[in-house]
Amino acid sequence: MKAVVVYKWARNAEDAMVRTDGSIDWRNARMAAGEDDPAALAAAKQIAADTGGAVIGLTIGDGDASWALARGVEQAFSVADAPSLADNGATAAILAAAVRYIGDVDVVVIGDSKQEPGVPVALAGELGWPALVGLHSASMPAGQLQAVRRVGGEQQTLNLATPAVLGISAESDTDQVPGMKELLAARKRPLTKLTLSDLGTAPVDLVSISCRKPDSTPSRVFDGEPAQAAAQLVAALRAEGVL
Amino acid sequence: MNTASWVLIASEAWRGALAAVQPLGGAVTAVVVGPRGLADDVATAGAGEVLWLELADGIPAEAYAGTLAVVVAAAAPTVLVANSDPTGRVLLGAASAQLHARLVPGVVGLAWDGGKVLIRRAAVGGETIETLATDGPVAAIYSGDEVSLPASAPAPVSRLDVVAAAMRLVASEPVAVATGLDDAERVVSFGRGVRAKDDVAVVRGLAEALDAELACSMPIADDLGWLEKSRYVGRSGNHIKPALYLAVGIAGAPQHMEGVRGAKVVAAINSDPEARIFQTADYGIVGDLYEVIPALIAEVHK
Repeated sequence: MKAVVVYKWARNAEDAMVRTDGSIDWRNARMAAGEDDPAALAAAKQIAADTGGAVIGLTIGDGDASWALARGVEQAFSVADAPSLADNGATAAILAAAVRYIGDVDVVVIGDSKQEPGVPVALAGELGWPALVGLHSASMPAGQLQAVRRVGGEQQTLNLATPAVLGISAESDTDQVPGMKELLAARKRPLTKLTLSDLGTAPVDLVSISCRKPDSTPSRVFDGEPAQAAAQLVAALRAEGVL
Repeated sequence: MNTASWVLIASEAWRGALAAVQPLGGAVTAVVVGPRGLADDVATAGAGEVLWLELADGIPAEAYAGTLAVVVAAAAPTVLVANSDPTGRVLLGAASAQLHARLVPGVVGLAWDGGKVLIRRAAVGGETIETLATDGPVAAIYSGDEVSLPASAPAPVSRLDVVAAAMRLVASEPVAVATGLDDAERVVSFGRGVRAKDDVAVVRGLAEALDAELACSMPIADDLGWLEKSRYVGRSGNHIKPALYLAVGIAGAPQHMEGVRGAKVVAAINSDPEARIFQTADYGIVGDLYEVIPALIAEVHK
């Protein structure tokens, strides 16, 4: 079983700065490991372990591609000149082209990002493969791809055929930071650098017209003496009718 | 370019998405994957036409994404909308690729401007609203508010018959949910700001004073075991909608906040003025919870 884990495929929104006029400064934001990437990697490794298969890493953009290699992935592909795009479909098309380039892939596992929730599903659409997202784990016992998710107070287990795309949603921050030994080993593992032209793609993004701050009331924070702050909060909550 | 919109519906939250395409003025077709009752509700809420796909027992809606995408692409609408729930997104992703559409998440509004579609979307975690333009077909993941829609004359509902991919629900078991949290009016919840297991009593005292249910963040239940696992709030735990959610010593990670999206008022106590929770809370106190909690209890009893 050949499993691809897609990682570091989006910029970290926390590194972006929103100026007072609402415009976005992305200068300090690079492609970063998303909060769901460790969970996606764990699922890909489980599928590979269950089938005696391999996990192949796939990343795009300017982030450090060794992230997966230092976490037990034997080889990785990086589309380093892929830009960050507002169009999740265009990002997915780059990833799909890379999955086709890697070839003979049975399952693609990707973090089901809250920031870019269209990428995992559009990736499946581009590949023409079935998909499940919002999963909390996946495995492949007895040669059958299996995914687990929670829906409305129920835990559901689903079986599906390969090839397939699985979007994994992290339950908590589970990243295990690699030690020096793993970091050194990562340097020796093969990293294949691809370009957009290798993949025959030339993404064109949507046009950004304008940005503005949303109409919202910032939180009222009381920071005086405890007794005074407590009195202010209780008064505010009573005024809201929730106390 | 035509002005037709299609809305893909696979969950109970669909009114906001349907309302979002109405200002576009074109024909609105809704695809409903689920029970007939849901299709009938959509048909009397302003859709021009409803295509209804009944789910076979044990087959998830996602199994129809591929064949449904072919139906959508054949109609070639300019605008395609679904909600952000996992099922709605899978249906949208398949159709969007088939339609060669732009796919934009976080969409809160749609409009025409000459021959272009203008898309308003929340960016950078909702800190700004960006307007994007495209002249091609667009697939939008709707993230705006739910709305109520006036009743309309019923639109025709026709049955869709498409083939499912090999996908099957093989087991389903209830996840334990703490009694009382689900329908609690008030919830006091705590996180790692509480220093020791014995100090849980301090927070419990506040919950009792406010006549609130006690809850916690995931690490408290999962890693530390200071409260039953059925009482943690967050993405994989309880999703609650109390009138008041008071978070004590909780940093406010997105995974946690997802569980309280339905709360009317969120208040927070945290010693760190930079804590993320103050970005989303309605009210907050910056201070040591060991000093603030007794003060709050005293104030409530006044």
